[in-house]
Amino acid sequence: MTIDIPALLVSAMLLAGLYATMSFGLALIYGVMKIVNLAHAGAMMWGAYAAFFFIVHLGFSPFLAPLVIVPLFFFLGILMQRFIVRRVMNAPPIASLLLLFGIWLIMQNIAYLVFSGDTRAITTLYTMMTFQMFGIAISVNRLLVFCVGILALFLLQQFLGRTYMGKAIRATAQDGDASKLVGINTERVMEIAFGLGIALAGLAGSLMALIFAFDPDFGRSHLLKSFCIVVLGGLGSFVGVALGALFLAIAEALSVLWIMPAMQDFVSFALLVIVLIVMPGGMMGLLEKFKKS
Amino acid sequence: MQVQEALRSWKPWVGLLFVLFLLWVPSSGIAGGYLQTLCFLTFLYVTLSTGWNILGGYAGQTSFGHATFYGLGAYTTAILVLRGVPPLMTMPLAGLIAALYALLWGYPCLRLRGQYFAIATIGVGEATRLLMLNLDDLIKNNTWLNGFLQDGVLTGGATGLMLPTPENISSYAVGFYYGAMGLMFLALLASWWVKNSKFGLGLFAINMDIDAAETIGVNTVYYKNLALMLSAFMVGICGSVYAQYMFYIDPQTVFGFPMSIAMVLMPTIGGIGTLAGPILGAVVYIVVQDRILTANLDIGTLKLSLSSMHLLLYGGLLVLIILFEPKGIVGLQQRLARWWKRRTGGVMARKTT
Amino acid sequence: MGVLIQGDNVCKNFGGLRAINKVSFEVKEGEIFGLIGPNGAGKTTLFRCITGVYPATSGRILFNGKDITRLMPHETCVLGITNTHQVVKPFPDMTVLDNVRVGAFFGRGWVQHEVKDAAKEAMRVLEFTGLAHRASSLARNLTLPDRKRLEVARALATRPQVLLLDEVVAGLNPTETDMMIALIRQLRDNGITIVMVEHVMRAVLGVSDRVMVLSFGEKIAEGTPKEVYTNPEVIEAYLGKSYAAGGAASQQINA
Repeated sequence: MTIDIPALLVSAMLLAGLYATMSFGLALIYGVMKIVNLAHAGAMMWGAYAAFFFIVHLGFSPFLAPLVIVPLFFFLGILMQRFIVRRVMNAPPIASLLLLFGIWLIMQNIAYLVFSGDTRAITTLYTMMTFQMFGIAISVNRLLVFCVGILALFLLQQFLGRTYMGKAIRATAQDGDASKLVGINTERVMEIAFGLGIALAGLAGSLMALIFAFDPDFGRSHLLKSFCIVVLGGLGSFVGVALGALFLAIAEALSVLWIMPAMQDFVSFALLVIVLIVMPGGMMGLLEKFKKS
Repeated sequence: MQVQEALRSWKPWVGLLFVLFLLWVPSSGIAGGYLQTLCFLTFLYVTLSTGWNILGGYAGQTSFGHATFYGLGAYTTAILVLRGVPPLMTMPLAGLIAALYALLWGYPCLRLRGQYFAIATIGVGEATRLLMLNLDDLIKNNTWLNGFLQDGVLTGGATGLMLPTPENISSYAVGFYYGAMGLMFLALLASWWVKNSKFGLGLFAINMDIDAAETIGVNTVYYKNLALMLSAFMVGICGSVYAQYMFYIDPQTVFGFPMSIAMVLMPTIGGIGTLAGPILGAVVYIVVQDRILTANLDIGTLKLSLSSMHLLLYGGLLVLIILFEPKGIVGLQQRLARWWKRRTGGVMARKTT
Repeated sequence: MGVLIQGDNVCKNFGGLRAINKVSFEVKEGEIFGLIGPNGAGKTTLFRCITGVYPATSGRILFNGKDITRLMPHETCVLGITNTHQVVKPFPDMTVLDNVRVGAFFGRGWVQHEVKDAAKEAMRVLEFTGLAHRASSLARNLTLPDRKRLEVARALATRPQVLLLDEVVAGLNPTETDMMIALIRQLRDNGITIVMVEHVMRAVLGVSDRVMVLSFGEKIAEGTPKEVYTNPEVIEAYLGKSYAAGGAASQQINA
């Protein structure tokens, strides 16, 4: 049985771009607000269904849909933060976890109601196309998704690096109290950050819908993968999350060589648990999991 | 003297009446045995809920992966029964295996704080489900391990396992009804005992401030793991009961995330960390689920999507509870009691002046 | 008087930061040992190394001759060292009595069979510390001075040989401070050795038998209170070089 390793790796790298897009939303929210956004899974899933709705029902072009979805989800995220999540910011972190879990449940079951549990997929002109480069067949679909993802991350990086709000976000992520002291409206920052996080999740979902089939249960395994990547890579650096995404995508791709394809997700789940236990304080002191230093 | 005083209050009498009612249900044949089934499920879920509460409510370690223990209990029983072991004998073993598995991944994971532990449990839950789904295929080529296979089947993969059904199924069901009821009371007794013991005090201390508890002499690692193992044991036994009652198990149901979700929702909605909370939560869960599911029987093809309404409801309830009354139904009841006391207390004061 | 706690060249690093650098010290039985120094000097870190909340990077800590460097906090508590926290950490949803009961159940007293009835012991400690009237209040409803006393009471219930008090009078007004100092003296008179980290000079210098001064993780002085506050290095650490030369500062500290 010959497995085309170069093709596998290329495909994995393309997927890594998507994984990075999907993880950054989670990393951003965690970094700024120190809460784990379980509704991230719901947002990704809704992003997929939104793409389905716009592309299949309304006939949008597959890469125009994100342009609508991103601002929509951004707005949704701001609403969620302002009216719901904000109230538990001062409670122990487990409260926000449970709250966001409840929101995820709601999102998931609204999807079941509206779309039913059937698996959906989006097929477009690009779905089956491949082109040859250096003798490797590359899926056009994946390449375009990769490009959109990277573009989005690039824009995000520019935003965080060059705009006032971007810097305010980074400051709040580092030290909320100090940020308040220098006049940063941290409430506003958190709203924007949460909005961005949800928007990125929605974007990732809408892109993933072009590659994978999905149903309302869609977000869960991707949530775990995102978390795995965030822990591996660390916060505050695109490099960290990108590296984590790359690492996971390649590990998953190569794992096919040794284990059954059905167990591929097992790799990321097991990795998540192992990384949580073994990584002391994350890669850049991200997660304060242990009380000892 | 305390007993005398207690007997004077109406509560124990109502409770006794209720228990007598429960004992009578199977012979009554209400709704053609449907009430009996519903009560049985309630007993099972109260036990599950109470088990989860020991770790999640008393010790404050929220686990989203308790389905692993349920599934392990169910599969232990199923696998052993298919190889000729009497079902009832498999029950303690089911609980034990669940408890040991808990120790295996619990020991490293419990070092994680609150939300990270919760995330880890989701990971473990999903990983275990996948493992059990594919276990047969994984071991069939391994010469040492494939001796466990019976006709090429250990866990049965996605198709699950089917147990032999007994001949007299209705008396079997009645037997299980009383058995589950007994189990539930045992579980409640255990929970009550823990709550009032030194062990429970330690767990509450860990829940409220783990660092302070550690410096004041509580061996937090030991206690957390003990709570996890006890919780797993109880849930594992419930899994075993499930397998013996349904005669069919599959990984999607017993190891699935929805099962874990149910175990989180019930005590949280009912009143986390209390004795009555898990009971109330389980009753609400079963009743709501039943009412919504049966309400859709005649809507034909729409039944599937509408049956998710109960989860939508729970999601909403959970959000409301976290936002407004973290102590759940029990907390609401306490608030009402206080409000009522103030009202009647005020009236009394006015009357005496 | 024997040596109860002995620290040998204790070091604690956090990544590249040297929080404690080769600090050696001795705490004698029955004394009140003060630990002072400017903010960030490493005082709380040293406490945490003693109890085991932080593992020391190098060096040894002995208690009654036994090496406790690698022990966990609950183990050092059972051996006889209990600490209070700078920012008080009561169990908020438990009653005051239950808070102290935890100490009575899990501390050295219980393990050594000195305490047989935890509730009774808790009540006894509450009476001793003047909190008996609040026994059934929830800890979250207490005022700060009462919370501080609860913190001490809970630690007391473990029947420690050594009590490590971390800024126990911080946030108290002068009257409350005096009451706390009186309590500390009473504790010493009852045979408990006290080590106290403090910033309120009046409190620590007035009651300590001996004092150790840390600055930037290193011991810069040790001796009686008077020796320490007239020590120019100590003055410099707190107030800067320009004060060290003059005598004005020492009068301030003496207040």
